[in-house]
Amino acid sequence: MAHHIEGSRNSCALHGALQVIEAIEGAVPVIHSTAGCGAQHFLGVNRLNAGSDSFGGPPVASSNISEKHVVFGGSSRLREQLKNTVKIVEGDLYFIVTGCSTEMVGDDIPAMNKEGRDQDFQVIYANTPGFRGDVHQGYQLAVKALIEQLPTLGKAVPPKVEGLVNILGIIPHQDPFWAGNLEELGRLLEGIGLKANLLFGYDQGVSAWQKLPDAALNVVLSVWGEAPALLLEERYNTPWLALEGLPVGSAAGAFLRQVTERLQLDAHRTELFIESEEKRLNRYLASLADTYYRAGFQREFALIGESAQVVGVSEFLTRTLGLLPRTLIITDNPPEESREALILRLTTLLEGAGTELFFSEDHGEITDLVRNSGAEVVLGSALEEGVAAELGAAFLQLSFPLSDRVVLNRSYAGYRGAATLLEELGSAILSHSYQSRRILQESY
Amino acid sequence: MSKKHGKHIAIYGKGGIGKSTTTSNISAALAEAGYRVIQIGCDPKSDSTTILRGGNDLPTVLDTLREKSKVKIEDVSAVGFGGVLCIEAGGPVPGVGCAGRGINAAVELLQELRLFEEYKPDFVLYDVLGDVVCGGFAVPIRDGIADRAFVVTSSDFMAIFAANNLFKAINKYAPSGGARLGGVIANSIQAPYAQSLIDDFTQQTGTSVVGYVPRSFTVSQSELYGQTVIEAVPKSEQADVYRNLARFIDENEDSVIPKPLNGPELKRWARTWGDRIFEVESGVVHNMESI
Repeated sequence: MAHHIEGSRNSCALHGALQVIEAIEGAVPVIHSTAGCGAQHFLGVNRLNAGSDSFGGPPVASSNISEKHVVFGGSSRLREQLKNTVKIVEGDLYFIVTGCSTEMVGDDIPAMNKEGRDQDFQVIYANTPGFRGDVHQGYQLAVKALIEQLPTLGKAVPPKVEGLVNILGIIPHQDPFWAGNLEELGRLLEGIGLKANLLFGYDQGVSAWQKLPDAALNVVLSVWGEAPALLLEERYNTPWLALEGLPVGSAAGAFLRQVTERLQLDAHRTELFIESEEKRLNRYLASLADTYYRAGFQREFALIGESAQVVGVSEFLTRTLGLLPRTLIITDNPPEESREALILRLTTLLEGAGTELFFSEDHGEITDLVRNSGAEVVLGSALEEGVAAELGAAFLQLSFPLSDRVVLNRSYAGYRGAATLLEELGSAILSHSYQSRRILQESY
Repeated sequence: MSKKHGKHIAIYGKGGIGKSTTTSNISAALAEAGYRVIQIGCDPKSDSTTILRGGNDLPTVLDTLREKSKVKIEDVSAVGFGGVLCIEAGGPVPGVGCAGRGINAAVELLQELRLFEEYKPDFVLYDVLGDVVCGGFAVPIRDGIADRAFVVTSSDFMAIFAANNLFKAINKYAPSGGARLGGVIANSIQAPYAQSLIDDFTQQTGTSVVGYVPRSFTVSQSELYGQTVIEAVPKSEQADVYRNLARFIDENEDSVIPKPLNGPELKRWARTWGDRIFEVESGVVHNMESI
């Protein structure tokens, strides 16, 4: 039965596609839809990503169609908009994405795209009406378009790189730490002698996407990366490795060992690298030990986020840091078959701890679940701030939407990301203890 | 919705079944009887009112809206036979845009322009294209527009199928204030079984036939002259057929919510008629019926 969703943190497919395009240097989105689609993307997504925003915010090229384009068709408006955009915004790639109204009308986007090509515009397109799904499907649709259409543009192919690994499944902005997480994963892969193709963020332009077919391996960090990996396997026979979650702390070591085995790399070299990373993280953990016991870090926590984050962060907090998972809420609405895998994966973590695992994107339901969990630490999005305060729990924002920090290249993945998570969770707990003590003192 | 001016009637039916001819002749007959009539063609082909205005050009509402930011009623209307005010909603060229939204936009614009308040019609006839394929084509029968809908059908199965679809739409919208069915206009009656087939369909669906329009050479000839039968051959029998229809619409306010047949029911019903027609054509005699 249909039910309403209150305060969803999952925007629509068009926005997912825009998030992909805006994270590629030199790629210019052209929206073919009503004016609100671009404005909503700015207000509902970009504005909530302090510091990891694409420059310029709202002025995304958009055909801003009106009633006459709905009645008579809006293809000619798109033609005009594409021409104007190419004149005004310099780019390596123009990417047409569509909204609901133009898809309902059935505007012929491939034909307009072809016209653009005939004028030597570097243009590709994806049909991304919001009704095709949420931000995650939008990511998949845009990535699919890039995989299928970039090779047909006739661009000069960049030189082949040996030992290249593509990183798939991280959705810019939907993971607030996407840029930092990609950088850290890249650093780890380079530590074992590989070259990571991050695809999004600093210095990741269209040429990074042209290198997709050259990779020796595709690493898939969430269920959302599986469809692109399958497509690349079908087209280029590239093997892929699915992780279901971000590798945080020691899980990064296990990840590097898996990659080493798959690509038959020098295991000794990998072990040396892991050892040096582990040593450093252990040193941090040791220096935290005193505070850990004094402030009572071993608390029950509720974690609300996308599946990849929930898997990675909860495993690290439970296994390495000894916190107790009370309630885990996965918000990215993964498909049924992936849910089973996630439940299986998290069951070993949950056994004996009385942990409950939920799938929900409904703010009201999530709030109730967190409220009833009685958690002492809440890790979630800005939307969970209220319920964390109600519970009197320590609170750390780590999933979309994020409102209280600037994020440039902060990461919660890998070894360095684990250290950052320790710092920030530790700070949240300390500050919470300090505030609680002060309130206690003032009340006497 | 402000107070309604006049009786608003929507006329539906499968494409090519003779809706526009029937509607225009009813408009002409109503005008002849002294009423103020507006006929609004709701079809991108924009040829609903052609035979009321001698085939002259008439810019459509939507074309005018596309070219001008401000549209006046005078720009998009023409006075046809007997003073009937003719308007064509218009729409996109085939294969482009959304004709359904077009009808919606055109009807909204006519309301905004206070057409009915200004012109004060006794009758407004909406001639709506083909099948009710999506929400846009159901606009005239939704709350606040037409009070009654009539469906034009022949005895062809696909025409009956389209009529049944309209019944479904009426069934959906009528409870929330949408139009109810005034009745079925049986058109192009020629085959010997046609009348009983349509009668049977109306019985099955809780509706009734309001008039039988025989297939007629007079209609085709008048159309070729760009005129209604009422105008071209006013003394013909066919003109009286349309006058009777107009009188019925004027004098009879009865309406029903039809009970459409579902897919399998409609197919079963059609098959029984297939069998019957076969038997008639091949002269099968049942149970000493001929004795």
